[in-house]
Parts: sequence; structure tokens; C-alpha cells
Amino acid sequence: MESNFNVPQRQSAVGIVIMFFDTIQQYARALWPILVVWIFKFNDINKWALFGGTLLVLFGIGIIAYLKYRNFTFFLDDQNDEFVITEGILNKTKTTIALYKIQQVNIKQSLLQRFIGVHALEVDTAGSKEQEVSIKAISHRLALDLKAKLLDNETKMPANAVAENTVSQTASDEKPFIDISLLSLLKVGITSNYIRSLGLLLAFFFTIYDNVMRFSNQGYINEDQFNGYVNKALIMQSIGILVVVLFGAIIVINVVRTMVRYFGYTITRQKGSLLLSFGLFNTKSTIIKPEKVQIVSFTRNYFQKKMDILELKIKQATAGEKEERKQAVEIPGCNAVERDAILKLLFGKIPQKGVMLQPNFRKLVFAIFLAIVLPLCGFYAVALNAGEDFLQFNWIVPVYVIFALLVLCFGFRNYRLFITGDFIIKQSGAWDIKNEIIEPQKIQALAVSQLFWHKNADIGYLTIHTAGGKMSFELGNYTVIKQYVNLWLYGMETSDSNWM
Amino acid sequence: MENFTNETIDTSQLPRFEEVPMTPLHRSYWKVVLITWAIVFVIGFTAFGLAVAFIEEFKDNAVRVAVPAIVGVAVILLMSYVSFRKKAFAFRNHDVLYRHGIIATTTIVIPYNRVQHVALHEGFISRIFKLATIQIFTAGGSSSDIEIPGIEKEQAENIKQLLMGKIQKEL
Repeated sequence: MESNFNVPQRQSAVGIVIMFFDTIQQYARALWPILVVWIFKFNDINKWALFGGTLLVLFGIGIIAYLKYRNFTFFLDDQNDEFVITEGILNKTKTTIALYKIQQVNIKQSLLQRFIGVHALEVDTAGSKEQEVSIKAISHRLALDLKAKLLDNETKMPANAVAENTVSQTASDEKPFIDISLLSLLKVGITSNYIRSLGLLLAFFFTIYDNVMRFSNQGYINEDQFNGYVNKALIMQSIGILVVVLFGAIIVINVVRTMVRYFGYTITRQKGSLLLSFGLFNTKSTIIKPEKVQIVSFTRNYFQKKMDILELKIKQATAGEKEERKQAVEIPGCNAVERDAILKLLFGKIPQKGVMLQPNFRKLVFAIFLAIVLPLCGFYAVALNAGEDFLQFNWIVPVYVIFALLVLCFGFRNYRLFITGDFIIKQSGAWDIKNEIIEPQKIQALAVSQLFWHKNADIGYLTIHTAGGKMSFELGNYTVIKQYVNLWLYGMETSDSNWM
Repeated sequence: MENFTNETIDTSQLPRFEEVPMTPLHRSYWKVVLITWAIVFVIGFTAFGLAVAFIEEFKDNAVRVAVPAIVGVAVILLMSYVSFRKKAFAFRNHDVLYRHGIIATTTIVIPYNRVQHVALHEGFISRIFKLATIQIFTAGGSSSDIEIPGIEKEQAENIKQLLMGKIQKEL
């Protein structure tokens, strides 16, 4: 049975429950200071009054939730090709979205929604954030139908907006063509994001340390006694243990995080678009339309290369820079073959690396100056002023210098720009090697810039702006860069190729 | 498909953006910059004067503050002059070029078929000199938008019309 969206309709009736908890959450957030006061004065207040009051409030919220549900309607206006949503109890809001402006339709399910058996449907547009719309409770079948209707607007686009890239129009086959296994996710968890997890752990430990110190300052723990416990030999030993424990904890956190976030990751082909769905607690599903993709990047490090996994990131056209991070769609743990399949679907062919541009050696020199010379100068300036105490950390210096030098040298060696007629690929990174792919027709603006003391060396910067963020290449051959800028401009200005 | 050819493009024969003669900003715009800074300086020095007059401890240190302040003013003026001289723009058939920057000279190029919308902005001081700023927005976010100040009001209107025409045609 075809669902009819042409008449205004409400959400699923059980949606009242969602509305109820949503409203509670909203009010709790607004009124939490009062709640805190109540909790502390719990013993002083008349229990019956409190009980009655709470009941009354809950009842009130229930009524509000019901009214919210009653007043929320949505329908598809076939005449004007618009999606119309009306909401609000006293202040009515009517949101109208032109169908061809819809970027993404996400179907999500929170834990609560999973219990009740409804889904949330969110509509993303290219416009400002306020225009975004979400339907909080809708049955899965209806959600899928509506999503298909909302996204089935290719033919209704204004003539100019029809994408030029010929994407192979494979019929919608519901069988996922990529299914990321638990093993792959495990591999990803073990091999990536060390630094992010380290940051999380450090933040956690510092909070605890801070609290312990505050505790001890209040006299609960005798500090001398506490410090006396720890002697030098024990310190070295415990540092060793700490490093091992830290490393283990990082890996565990990574694995758990990756598993929870990306559990059951499947990619399905649907009318030339990609349909992704993943998540253990919050099942998220996202659609990616090839013509809206701006930057595709894939990252992998040495271990991941050996295990044949990589992380793919897809950036689509966004309204503001703030949303850039949020908008990047991640596909963790696919292998090279799957990557090529996805790239082929997005671009129509597999990007090849062509002409190679290298950065000037000054990039390395400058990086060494910034990351090694300056910090060392700072360190010795402080050490000489602060006296002997500081110099006992001298052993850190060579360790740091060697580590930083390795990172910088590898980073420099991997820093490359590859250019072919159809693709611009930037490779960068010291450990995690990242490849960012842009199609020249997706460029919004090109900027070249040169420091005045680089004029004689003929080197300069190139920045490529797209609707999904920018990409810079530093200190390349300026003449060559300008030549390519001219070529890309020629390409953009002689064709009506569409960037979205 | 039959009429489709794909010749190799001779990249050396392409029009070069770096050789386009650029139009500098209108001469009066320097006065606008000067007046803007003058207002800032007048406020700053008034505060300084008041501090010297009313705060006892400030009197002894007045020279120590005044000398760097004057040097600072000189540097700011010099920098804004260089910056004024560096700024230049050009409108080609298919794109707009804008050059700016003191230490790093940046040239940004936006093809007309990527322009989202155009705005004309008149500052309070600019209006006295009949100058206006043209703002050109793309979908690339604020980093790829450009603002060309110091264009004569009439010319700016014309440019805006031209750009709007180009955008319309592209659509």
C-alpha cells in the first residue's frame, strides 16, 4: 500500500510518549536550579505537597505533550513540490521546504524510541540551521516511504540543478553491498584515534587528581605522609606500569567507542545514492547523494595498511563552517576493494594519482623551527631562570627532538598534491596518512598566496575552497600552482557543471 | 556523443589570472581608513590624557606608555597604507579577482557561476566620500567570500548589476 502524504497528518499516536519525555527534558533543563534546591531541602518540605505538586506538573506536561502532538502535522505539497510542517500550541510555526533543497534525510532511533518502536526523521537542507526539521515519532515503514518521497525529486529540480556527473543508475537493491564486520571494527578500534582517546583519558585523570588534591587540602589526607610513601624506585616502576595500563585503557576505550558507534554498519545502494546505517544504541541512517559530495578523504596508518582497513570520510555541502565536522560522514573499517567501490559510485570512476607536486624543503625547515627550535628555546629560557630543579628533566629533550623530527620528516615526505584532469588529491600526515580527493568542478573559489620573501624561491600557497570545506597546499612551486589555477578556472568557466 | 571531442588543452595558452591588470582601490578610500583610525586614536589618547590628569601613579609612567603608543600608531598607519596599496581587484568576463595582504599577498578568484549573491555595503564614513563595499558570497563559507572596499558608489552599483546579470544568466 502506498502511503499518502498529500493530506496533513500527525505522527504516530505513541509519539505522545516521546513528546512527554522531550518536554520533561526541556523543562528540567530550564528549571534545574530549582530542582536542585528542592532536592537539598527534601526533608524540610511537606511530602504530600511535593508529591501532589509533582503529579500536577507531570499531568500538565502530559497535556502539553498531547497538545504538541495534536498540533504537529506534516504533508507533501505536490503542486509546489514542498514539504510543509506546522507545529506549535500557541505560537504556530509553519515550515516549508522546497523539495529540491533537501540535502539529507536521516532516520534515527534513540533508546526510548526503540522501546516504543518508532523512529525519528530529520530533514537537512542546504540553508541555515533553523530550517532543519525533525519528526520525532513515525513508524519505520512510514519513515522509509516519506524518505523515498522526499528524496525522489531529481526530476523536479530546476533544469540547471540536474547534476552532470553520470552516476550509474542501478536499480534500488535492498541488499547491502558493503557490510562492515565486527572484526573490522575491532581492527579499527585497535589501530586508530590514539591521540583522541589519550586526551579523553588525561582529562579524566586530571579531574580525579584535582579532586583528590582538593580533598587532601581539606585535611583528610596528610600530604607529607602521602608523599613520603612514594620513593624514587617506586616512581620509575609505577611510571612503567602506568604507561602499560594507559595504553591498554586507550585501546579498550577505542574498541568500545568504535563498536558502540558503528555497530552493524551497512551500506546500501539506492538509486545511485548510498544509504548508510549504523549504531548500537542510536541507530542512525544517512543518505549520501553523489552530486552533493564535496570532499572525500580516506585515512590509514601503517598497521591499518597491513590489516587492509581504512577510514573513509565524506564531506557534503554545508551551510556553515560550524557544522563541517558534524556533516562529515565516516565509514570506518572498509578495505581497499570496498573503498574503490564506494569511490566509483560517488565519482563514476576510481581517482588516479597523476602529476605530483612536492612542497619546498623550506616547509620542513620552518616546521622544525616551529616545533623544535622554539619550544627548546622556551624550555632552556625557563630552565636557566628557574635554576637546577628544571634541568633534571634534561633527558626529555633528546627524546622529544627525535620524536618530533621523525614526525616532521615523515609528514614532509608524505605531503603531496596529485593532479589529474578529473581529480585533485592531497596526501598528508605523518602516521595516519590521509588522502583528500576533490573534483575540480566542485571548486567554489581558488586562492593563491605568497609571502614576499618567497618571491625569489618561486614558492607559494594554494587554497581550494569547496562547499564542504577547504583544502590547502603549502609551499609548492608557484608557477605550476598558478598554471593549474588557470586550468581549473578554465574548466569551471567553460562548463555548466554543477557543484551540488 | 558523435560531436564530442576531447582535445588536449594547451595550458600555456590559457588566459593567465596573474597577468590581469588590477584596479587599485579608489584614492579617497585611504582618507576613509585614516578617518576611521583617527577616531580610534582620538578616543585612545583622550583616555590617556584623562588618566594622566586624574591618576597620580600614572603620571610618573606616562612617558613609558606614551612612547610605545606613538610608535604603535606609526606602525599601524604604515601597515594600513601598505595594506591599502596592496588591495586591488579585477572583473574579468567569467570571474572576479581580488588581491590583498601585507606579508602574504593573496589573490582569490571566484568564477561568476559560483557566486551565490552579491551585497553592497556603505559605511558611515565611506558614504561621505561616495564609496561603497561590494561583498561577494559563495557557497564555500566565509573563508571564500570576498569584500572589496573603496569602490565609487556608482561603479559599485554597476558592478553589482553586472554580477547579478551574470548570475541570472548562469542560472
